[in-house]
Amino acid sequence: MNLKKYWLVASNSLQEYFVYRLNFILWRVRVVVSMLITYFLWFAVFSSSKQVFGYSENQMLTYVLLLSFMNSLVLSTQTFRIAEEINMGTLSMYLIRPVNYFSYNLARDLSDKALNVIFSVIEFIILILILKPAIIIQSQPSFIFLFLGATTLGAILYFEIGIILSSIAFWSYETWAPRFIFFILVSFLAGNYFPLDILPGPLFHALSYLPFSYLIFFPLKLYLGEASGGFIIQGFTVVALWIVGLYFFINYLWAKGLRAYTSEGQ
Amino acid sequence: MKIITVQKLKKHFKVYKRGAGLRATLRSFLSRPEETVKAVDGISFEIEKGELLGFIGPNGAGKTTTLKCLSGLLYPTSGQVKVLGFTPFDRKPEYLKKISLVMGQKNQLWWDLPAIDTFRLNKEIYDIEDSDYERNLAELSQLLEVSHLVSIPVRKLSLGQRMKMELIAALIHRPEVLFLDEPTIGLDVVMQKNMRDFIAQYNRRYQSTILLTSHYMSDVKELCKRVIIIDNGKIIYDGQLDRLGRKYADYKTVTVIFEKPVDGKKFPEMGEVVSFKFPKLVLSVPRKMSKHIAAKILENYPVEDFNIEDPEVEDIVRRVFSEKKV
Repeated sequence: MNLKKYWLVASNSLQEYFVYRLNFILWRVRVVVSMLITYFLWFAVFSSSKQVFGYSENQMLTYVLLLSFMNSLVLSTQTFRIAEEINMGTLSMYLIRPVNYFSYNLARDLSDKALNVIFSVIEFIILILILKPAIIIQSQPSFIFLFLGATTLGAILYFEIGIILSSIAFWSYETWAPRFIFFILVSFLAGNYFPLDILPGPLFHALSYLPFSYLIFFPLKLYLGEASGGFIIQGFTVVALWIVGLYFFINYLWAKGLRAYTSEGQ
Repeated sequence: MKIITVQKLKKHFKVYKRGAGLRATLRSFLSRPEETVKAVDGISFEIEKGELLGFIGPNGAGKTTTLKCLSGLLYPTSGQVKVLGFTPFDRKPEYLKKISLVMGQKNQLWWDLPAIDTFRLNKEIYDIEDSDYERNLAELSQLLEVSHLVSIPVRKLSLGQRMKMELIAALIHRPEVLFLDEPTIGLDVVMQKNMRDFIAQYNRRYQSTILLTSHYMSDVKELCKRVIIIDNGKIIYDGQLDRLGRKYADYKTVTVIFEKPVDGKKFPEMGEVVSFKFPKLVLSVPRKMSKHIAAKILENYPVEDFNIEDPEVEDIVRRVFSEKKV
């Protein structure tokens, strides 16, 4: 397989970003501001007590500060463009060329993630210098390793979900409504405002079978190192099952979708 | 050698109907009556290697849909399509490397980047050798006279320049079969001419098979020997362009320039008056009668200039569509 073409897709996408620098910077501002709100909220909560929901101040603030990093790595995506490309008929321009459209999208996403990660690392360093929080630096290689593994799986899972949400475009023009609902679900159920295990037991248990928690909460929990062997094994099993299941579902969906595809717009 | 064979191809679309107005819109929330549109309705044809064939038809006749079926974008409702021995909808990489589709209103160029970035990407996508790539690119950009523009962001180019870049991107892998959908749409007359010359040259030079749709008759007239006329999803003519006249047009066009103002009362008796505005009269007369009528006009009127010719292809096609005689 010729990987160079996908490298070029990534590099072209990256160049595109620099045309819209202001857009990108404002997007980063939004991410940082949203994270800071969460940060100061929890900062205030911990001013009166040492331990909240079983989290120490250090753990909680580390969790929150890493959110931006996780968002860049896992949740930044270009897959919503697929819906636009289906509806506008520009998908044709990919179908007509000997290129794997999913790999093409993956390359586009990777460039997006790379750029966002670079920025979030810089922001992270600046924020640590300013806020001087007592963050936890995970020193055990095994947890770092698990954290990176879980993050990668989370990114794959989110990529698949993004494709599925965009595939609605084969049958309907209204792709934004489901996506918007999904955004809301993710922001609450993935652990973007608080670690999910502060929720009541049964609810948390139910969430652990849904894909959301594996996007943010699960990897961060592993970073903090507060994870039992059973929790780790169950987590990796569930996320792997979701990834494999959705993979087959996407293949099925696209086989059907491409038959329904009308290549409109002209 | 047959490059393309199409047998009884059908492509039907389902569309939802909705009446005008708010009430109808609200009602469409609950139930949407479906309607089947027969975009392509059972067409068959074959194309030889190296042919340059024109597809003509009014808007919505099914030209573009046919091209999309041939290039593998659309899944046929029924019928058989073979191009270069492949079934297009399978979209095998080996197939896609041999064809190209250019749509006048759709582009593969990266809007914000110079065209050269798209070319380089296509080089990798189509696995083109460095030397072939350099040669093709040099040739194409020279033919189209855009060598100096490849490093300028696409968004800054004019429509014509952009169209040329699209062509380069589509031809950089030197496809054996080329589908051109309205390649001259929106271009000015000079640019249209350039584009036509280029297509003709490309066809000659590489012996590639080209299928072209256009509603500019001049495109077809200058480029194609053979045409397929399609209307309402059905083929109504498939054959040589110059035979079209003999088949459908049993009339000739007589153009007269008069020296002095004349009485126009008698012209309708001779033939169909296409236009009469002193000093020019355009008359459409039955083919057999043309000599007789010509003599009559020359005898009885002060004529300065006189001309008898076969009707314009535009005219014939217009007649074919308005009369629908098959």
